[in-house]
Amino acid sequence: MSVRKFHPANRLGAMIKQKGGMLVQNAIAAAEAGVESLREASLKSLDDTLTEMEARFGPKADRSDAAFEDLYALCLRIVDVAGFASETGVDKAIMSFCNLVDNCAEAGTWRWDSVDVHLDALRLLRSVGAQLPPADRANMLEGLYRVSGFRPGES
Amino acid sequence: MGDVLQPSTRINLEKAVVLVLDDNGASLDILSQVVSGFGVKQLYRAESVKDAQALVKTKTFDLVISDVQMPEVDGVEFIQWLRREASEPNRYIPVILVTGHTRKPDVLRIRDAGANFTVAKPITPKVLLERIYWVAREERAFIECPTFVGPDRRFKHEGPPPGTDGRRRDDLPAEVGDAQEPNMSQEEINNLMRPAKVQVS
Repeated sequence: MSVRKFHPANRLGAMIKQKGGMLVQNAIAAAEAGVESLREASLKSLDDTLTEMEARFGPKADRSDAAFEDLYALCLRIVDVAGFASETGVDKAIMSFCNLVDNCAEAGTWRWDSVDVHLDALRLLRSVGAQLPPADRANMLEGLYRVSGFRPGES
Repeated sequence: MGDVLQPSTRINLEKAVVLVLDDNGASLDILSQVVSGFGVKQLYRAESVKDAQALVKTKTFDLVISDVQMPEVDGVEFIQWLRREASEPNRYIPVILVTGHTRKPDVLRIRDAGANFTVAKPITPKVLLERIYWVAREERAFIECPTFVGPDRRFKHEGPPPGTDGRRRDDLPAEVGDAQEPNMSQEEINNLMRPAKVQVS
């Protein structure tokens, strides 16, 4: 088996050191300000996706033809914007939900009681998560992790 | 790799041509805002691998930031295509993958995709800038072989695991063997350090 090992030119490395530019602290501040301008639209996207999840995969939905990939894709849409709701715990709860759906897909069978628990938890956290005492929020997330088998830091 | 990025460090990304790829518009907006905040003036956005491939065929990029999970063709397949089929120099450009959640079957696929780094969503400007800084100072060799194309997946130079012979010509054994020659005398060492005139013809 032939292996070629070499060092291609790194143009990015050359240009990042050029005179001018900006301080790292200013670059981060400018980026954070830019992201902040998307807060309202992102939270609306989060709420819309959560509503769609409940409508398509909640207890009142017809779940007979539910596809793992569809719910997983909705979970990822929430992950994408969950940074704006980090004070509520939604960002952590949704990772647990991703893990649950991934496990269900791997096993080829739904665990609807666990799905319902996650949907309820997401709605609750989104509504009052920021007002919960940190210990209560942590306990709630720990309970979700036990249900989904999610281990923070591994995914 | 692994240097801490200091707030007082100066960076210049004004001339960098960057491609960001994400199928979710909200996520693409966030990525674009972050990269623009870093001073990048030439930012190209793609919402599908097909669009990204079209851009790679017509422009020369300095950095690619791509989502992993996308419908039909995902970010891993895009990077594999980039590393194997794109023209130079785009074939060798730094790539940062961003992923929301890594499914079990994807762990090895992402590792072997050929990206320089993987960043977990939700992204923060600090973490993304740090990774961009790392790829700009990348010192790992680029590997091309039938099963992998991309930056060396080994970050540490600790040799192969103990008890194995290694797979590469430059892999040294983990155990240090007996010396093959006698130790140098102090005089020999001194002679190595002594300044000497050099004849330049």
